[in-house]
Amino acid sequence: MVQIVFGIGITALAGALATIAGSAEDTESNIGSQGDPNSQVQLAPQMGFIHRIFNKAVAGEPPAYGLWCALGAGLAWAFMAMQMNPVLAIVLGCVLAALVQGVYATTAYLGRTASLAKFGQPVYVDILKSMTSVTMAHAFIAIFAVVTLCHLINGALGHPFPLPLLGLIWGIALGAAGSATGNPYYGKERQYQNQKFGAGVPISASGNIVRYAEAGERNSLDNGFFTHKIGGSASGVCFGLIVFLEIWRTILFENVSAGWGAIVVGILLILIFTVVDRYIEVWARRNYGPYTEAKVVS
Amino acid sequence: MSAVAAKPQAGGAMNPTAMVVGVIMLLIILALCWYVSPGLGLMALIGIIIGGVLIGFGTHFVPVGGAPAAMGQAPGIATGVAMLAAGAGLAGLFGGAWAAGQGWVIATITGGVGGGLMMAITCMMVNFIYVFGMGIPSASGKVAKDPITGDTQAEFKSQGTEGHGLPFVSFVGGVTGGFLGGAGGTLIYLQLLSLYETKLPTLMGVPAAQVMPIAVAAAGIFAVGLFLVNAVLTAYNITGTIEGPHDPKFKRWPRAIVASAVASALCGFVAILIVAI
Repeated sequence: MVQIVFGIGITALAGALATIAGSAEDTESNIGSQGDPNSQVQLAPQMGFIHRIFNKAVAGEPPAYGLWCALGAGLAWAFMAMQMNPVLAIVLGCVLAALVQGVYATTAYLGRTASLAKFGQPVYVDILKSMTSVTMAHAFIAIFAVVTLCHLINGALGHPFPLPLLGLIWGIALGAAGSATGNPYYGKERQYQNQKFGAGVPISASGNIVRYAEAGERNSLDNGFFTHKIGGSASGVCFGLIVFLEIWRTILFENVSAGWGAIVVGILLILIFTVVDRYIEVWARRNYGPYTEAKVVS
Repeated sequence: MSAVAAKPQAGGAMNPTAMVVGVIMLLIILALCWYVSPGLGLMALIGIIIGGVLIGFGTHFVPVGGAPAAMGQAPGIATGVAMLAAGAGLAGLFGGAWAAGQGWVIATITGGVGGGLMMAITCMMVNFIYVFGMGIPSASGKVAKDPITGDTQAEFKSQGTEGHGLPFVSFVGGVTGGFLGGAGGTLIYLQLLSLYETKLPTLMGVPAAQVMPIAVAAAGIFAVGLFLVNAVLTAYNITGTIEGPHDPKFKRWPRAIVASAVASALCGFVAILIVAI
């Protein structure tokens, strides 16, 4: 019983850390303009729209976070093997991983923006100086949360995978969940705030991203502030649910009916999310209605 | 023949010669494995090939729209197909590895359910953000009606786009893809773990308990690597984006099966050689 209560406590803590990680990851990727919406940041100068948005698509978010979390976890694991205190080891490992992220961010911004020189896009040194540190700070939070939850899974819950491998797996999953949930909100709702609400961006408008703020030119810090409120929070909830429910069903039900308990609970959870998804889909169709008259289809 | 002079071919066209060459390569690798490590090694390689094929086939189900989906210009999840499939499959591998002690059937299904659960949550949150964050309903660009629910799609596509969000059939495709990916990744892990657990103590001359961390880590990292190989192969096959099982690109799966089988066999053979030579 004590073991189960202990497991539930660790599961809750891991879920909370995952929620923080998801939120920080999405906000970091939006401030740095990483992921699919960055295609528009890269495209805009080619269409004649010069901007002051950061531009650092180092890689897709999943492999990027896979690298940074595996690096943080690997370094923390090495420090712990040198008998360092786990808290200090994790912090130091994550600081070093965030520094690597900063190097990637800097070279990506300079390289990508310099490649747009023929379209008149300048490299803004003040943007580089003010944005890079903010993305590094958010990356540190995300990496720290992931490495800590991996340490809990490995050390307290006894998962067989070593810490660096857990960092790689959950880093990739973090990037996948964060980019899937957060990208549309940044890509459509923020970059194309000048387009109609409640509709996708017409393909003909590609590249015409919003470049001006309430006062002066818009920069990526404004984007992070805006997207964090819904996109960042939703990404946090998404990754938090994934980590929490995956561990929860294992801790509580893996010994029920020789392992079938966890499987049945997992299938029930999938069915619940299926019903919720269908409800959301139908709710949107009923409340927003069609854009055009329905056509008779065979 | 130059690229300019080449006849344009549909992306989904099958090349029978390439398929036959692929099958022959597969048989050669299997024969080599039988020669180097008959019994356990060959069984492990067959398991790895089945796992790789499950991953390659499963990735075809995952609805990914890439960059256009991030602007609500196309349906699907706004990220890379290989990356999303890897995220789901590795989440499944995490659960499957945890259940390894309960037998390979339980562990493989547990891994599959873990991948399916990850995709169910992600797909639900994608629709949540489209509907409640951006006020956009789901609409497919590839079919007039959702094959499962029968909902009409065309009138829910906003002007100048190919659709947006995740129609129900795409949600089901995502969960199916996550399940197959998670099960395939776990199967690969279990096969390699079983091989390493048996061979490493003799090879290194140490007790079995002492090699367990090495066996688990090596099997785990090979499983992750094989997952990425198969997911990327499929990403090429569907040219980066797919709506799900209703997308015409889905019909390209046979050639991905052959490619995944060959790639998994080659990578698996290398993983087996570590302990076989």
